[in-house]
Amino acid sequence: MADPTVPATVITDEARDWATQPFDQYVTTVSRTDIARFARAIGETNAVYYDAEAGRAAGHPDVVAPAYFPYTIRMQATHLVDRADLEPDGSSSADVPPLPTNRAMAGETTIDLGVPIHAGDTITLNKRIVELYEKTGRSGTLVFVKTEFVFTNQDGEQVMREHFTRIYR
Amino acid sequence: MTTDHDVDTMLTIGAPVPDLVRRPDPIDLFTFSAASWLLHRIHYDLPFTTDHDGHPGLLVQGPLQGTYMIQSVQWWLGPDARLRSIAYRHSSPVYAGETLTCGGTITGIDSVEETFDVELWVKTNDGTITTSGTATFAIPPEQIPTEKS
Repeated sequence: MADPTVPATVITDEARDWATQPFDQYVTTVSRTDIARFARAIGETNAVYYDAEAGRAAGHPDVVAPAYFPYTIRMQATHLVDRADLEPDGSSSADVPPLPTNRAMAGETTIDLGVPIHAGDTITLNKRIVELYEKTGRSGTLVFVKTEFVFTNQDGEQVMREHFTRIYR
Repeated sequence: MTTDHDVDTMLTIGAPVPDLVRRPDPIDLFTFSAASWLLHRIHYDLPFTTDHDGHPGLLVQGPLQGTYMIQSVQWWLGPDARLRSIAYRHSSPVYAGETLTCGGTITGIDSVEETFDVELWVKTNDGTITTSGTATFAIPPEQIPTEKS
């Protein structure tokens, strides 16, 4: 967190209110095609990601998803929306704080994995913003939005918990 | 107690994670964005990226670099080396077409939990670290040292 004795120069009360908004749960059922598409995108060649028989031979009920597959679910949750709900840079309007910043980049990521995701699983995503803060350096003021994402499957088991910080300037 | 471990285990503290070399090009960036429904233009719209964000090229996605770090371990030990946790941060941008080398070092082994810890990094050809972090993976069954009688 930023030093609380330094007054915020960018973050407004409106932005702080924005950060406390509740998010709707996002629920999606994962298909073999969803898993194959992500596995191909990251260059995986192991058959456990593509072939249900290979998945079963490796002890899974179906094809298994690569470790960071839940990322695709949290991106869908805010970007699989009406075209009018996207910013000019392609970001989801729902993700962008109401601040005079217009460039974004990826910050720190922290992930804890639970049980694997398999084709056919129904995944529920709960998210909340856990920190909104700013830092001023030589290149100006940066705004940090840290969000927590918790993914659970149809049996209530946690598949992943992620903290992701997006940086705006 | 003196134990004589199998000599073929590759997991010892200080052992390097073998280098994994990746060279993500615009097709790799596009397929990653498409598969993730990541619509940020800095990963596929070059004029926007140069004119609006002031970058010299398309930016390689941070999560794609995170995935490369996971793969540097799993393409070495196999998917049974299940990821338990990872934390990483980005320190320098990477542009499409740059050659990335991913590697790391084993920093801890927990024979009770059957996990091992690694420090991981991604760097460009000039040695600049672009992403770095730490992770914990499950020890694959064939890598668990067995005591010989």
